[in-house]
Amino acid sequence: MSVNGPESRGAKAGGRSRRPEIPGTVRRVFSRVDTESLSLIIALALLVIAIASQTDKFFLPRNLLNIGQNVSVLGLVAVGETIVILAGALDISVGSIAGVASVTAAIALQHTSLAGGGVAAGLMIGLAFGVANGLVVTVLRVNPVIATLATFAAFRGIAFLLAPGGKPVGVSNEGFINIGVGRIFDTDTFPGIPVSLLLLIGVAAAVEVMLRYTDFGRSIYAMGGNPAAARLAGISLNRMRIAIYGISGALAGLAGIVVTARVTAGEPASGTQGLELQAITAVLLGGAALTGGKGSVIATMLAVLLVGTLTDGMNLLGIQTFYQDVAQGLLLITAVAIGQYRAARAERARTRTG
Amino acid sequence: MQALSDVSLEVRPGEVLALMGENGAGKSTLLRILSGDYQPDQGWLTLAGQRLTFASPRQARQSGIRVIYQEAEIIPGVDVAENIYAGELPRRGPFVDRGRLAALVREAIKEYGFGTVLPAHADGDKLSPAQRQLVEILRALKSGVKVLALDEPTSSLTDEQVESLFVLIRRLRSEGVAIIYVSHRMREMLQIADRIAVLRDGRLVAVRPVKETSEGEIVRLMVGRDLTDVLERTPSASSRIVLRVRDLNSDWHRGISFEIKAGEVLGFAGLVGAGRTELAKVVFGDYRRNSGTIEVDGRAVDIRHPSHAIAAGIGLAPEDRKGDGLVLIRSVQENVALAILRRLSRFRFIRAALERRVVREYVDRLRIRTPSIGQQVAKLSGGNQQKVVLARWLAAHPKVLILDEPTRGIDVGAKAEIYRLINELANEGIGIMLISSELPEILGLADRVLVMQKGRITGELSAAEATEEKVLELAMLDQLTVESETA
Repeated sequence: MSVNGPESRGAKAGGRSRRPEIPGTVRRVFSRVDTESLSLIIALALLVIAIASQTDKFFLPRNLLNIGQNVSVLGLVAVGETIVILAGALDISVGSIAGVASVTAAIALQHTSLAGGGVAAGLMIGLAFGVANGLVVTVLRVNPVIATLATFAAFRGIAFLLAPGGKPVGVSNEGFINIGVGRIFDTDTFPGIPVSLLLLIGVAAAVEVMLRYTDFGRSIYAMGGNPAAARLAGISLNRMRIAIYGISGALAGLAGIVVTARVTAGEPASGTQGLELQAITAVLLGGAALTGGKGSVIATMLAVLLVGTLTDGMNLLGIQTFYQDVAQGLLLITAVAIGQYRAARAERARTRTG
Repeated sequence: MQALSDVSLEVRPGEVLALMGENGAGKSTLLRILSGDYQPDQGWLTLAGQRLTFASPRQARQSGIRVIYQEAEIIPGVDVAENIYAGELPRRGPFVDRGRLAALVREAIKEYGFGTVLPAHADGDKLSPAQRQLVEILRALKSGVKVLALDEPTSSLTDEQVESLFVLIRRLRSEGVAIIYVSHRMREMLQIADRIAVLRDGRLVAVRPVKETSEGEIVRLMVGRDLTDVLERTPSASSRIVLRVRDLNSDWHRGISFEIKAGEVLGFAGLVGAGRTELAKVVFGDYRRNSGTIEVDGRAVDIRHPSHAIAAGIGLAPEDRKGDGLVLIRSVQENVALAILRRLSRFRFIRAALERRVVREYVDRLRIRTPSIGQQVAKLSGGNQQKVVLARWLAAHPKVLILDEPTRGIDVGAKAEIYRLINELANEGIGIMLISSELPEILGLADRVLVMQKGRITGELSAAEATEEKVLELAMLDQLTVESETA
């Protein structure tokens, strides 16, 4: 929901230069974060306070940047999932696509020994499989959940079939490995910013800009909000769906590349640890409507950060992984329940006034 | 608005009372009150001298009043027999006594003569609407119905099915059931009813014994409303044809041909179900066109998707504003700009300042009352929502604008504004295809009226010769002649 603040008539009237536009944009961005993600920011702050009160390791630069590096895979997948959910669909196959891309990238590296070759192969295969999802949904008219549930299984199988003997394919290309573990600006005292985090920030920013400022992005919100109205306004839903699944697949492919670089192997089981479910969790935690038309990449990224911080904090405190899973589940239920409560209250307020 | 006011009506045991009226005359509301769905603000029902108040449809059914709607309820995945006996299946111990159930149902179906049309073992969700109605009627009979109301029961029936329904109705009448029969089909009414009650604008205008009335009189009673408060339009049609549809066939339509000139308002009248909304969607490319050609501004266009229609210069404000027109959870700005996103963009990026300027222009022009253009459309009133849809299409500068029930469900003030707007747009040279079920609206605004019935155009009237009687005659009575020819 884009709620514009009070329109600054004065600035507009005098604004023949582009300057007055900038504060307006900044304010809009801010007000958007304000309304949609305030509770996430509060939750994040509370969580940080809680963790920091228990351990002094949290605020170490190394730890903070570790969080960033650790969330990058989930983050990339969640960006794609955000687009899909905004459009009113769902993509369950992203984890499997990451696995296929991981193996493909490793094999390509073996053959070309070029970092770029591995990246291109992973991205292309992700895109191709994403487009395949889109074709199943549009041409064969299979419900998105069922379609990607099916390809979730099929793509996973393909990942293991591609890997010789179903085993991980080793990667030794230095440049490629840097995507997963590299750091820039590292000094003796500063651990450096993870390349994978920068990659995530770049992708997230680009997609947010695309969603907000292009006709393609607008069309995504419109078709998620009301597909019939979008179609009658001239938007080709089929073409949109294919493009959206393609983007989601390509981003899952990118996530697979990052995994490959980090573990230095093309791992068919990349993303088998419920990557798709974590991504869907993050998008919904960010306040997106599962019915589509409402949500943003920024909100999803805040949710990814929240999940990453929670995991990191529990690791620092030495809490078992299984508790972390339970905590993540409870977090989602709490967030959605709060969202529902607020929506119900807003609905009541609306019926009272109107 | 009152849907019904001051209606007093009685039905006697062993009588068929026909209820007639135009769309929106209040027939459905009356049935809803009978069935306990709605509660009257004033007045009451009595049954056999006893005063009744229904808090729920269940109570109405228990007291012996049963309303059968066109969309009869059915339990899917369960066969006809179980549907009829739902809730009181014969049992043997804890199990359903299938043998006895089958016998009971066979007997009931045979007794009422549905043997050929209603197989007892057909699955509930495979039944046609007509068969569903029969199931509901049998359900009602089983529970000892005293008053049976049928809402357009024959609209989906074949002639054979209609015959067996009439056999059933006559039989129930002879058994002392009071029957209320709602239909548009004049011939059937005259055939089956004992008395005809006519509703108009929520009031009962007359009750006539069938023997003492005629088709002509009934039609007059149905439409005879004065045409005040409707704008008088000054025709502005030029000679340039902006939309020409020739020999269009679709799953709903046969041989539709018409043309709209620049600056002309072409009204489409007809009963609900005549195929007007579908025609709008076929022309706009949302429904499939099987054959026929469409020309916009003299150029043939192959429209297979709404985007083709928009590119050719056609706009459509659909009948179902919330379902088909608006993205309710998004802002006024996004909704208004939705059909012209590409035009507002440079290198696929929407030019924000240009967009706001265009949106504001049309928000101002249509006097859309909204706190800001960032307001969620769901929070606007019905009239303002409709104006948002219109603003979207005006911003697209169409040559042809299709308006499907543009004033449905909006208040009188907004209605008047929309009438004025239609007039204005036509004067600016847009060709307007106006679909409305409110006859005064069509007669007041249209320069020419086409009347549709069952997917065909059954007549054309100029503004001068169009009257409610003539339109309704073409929309309904023509059916009589067609049917008597085939009979």
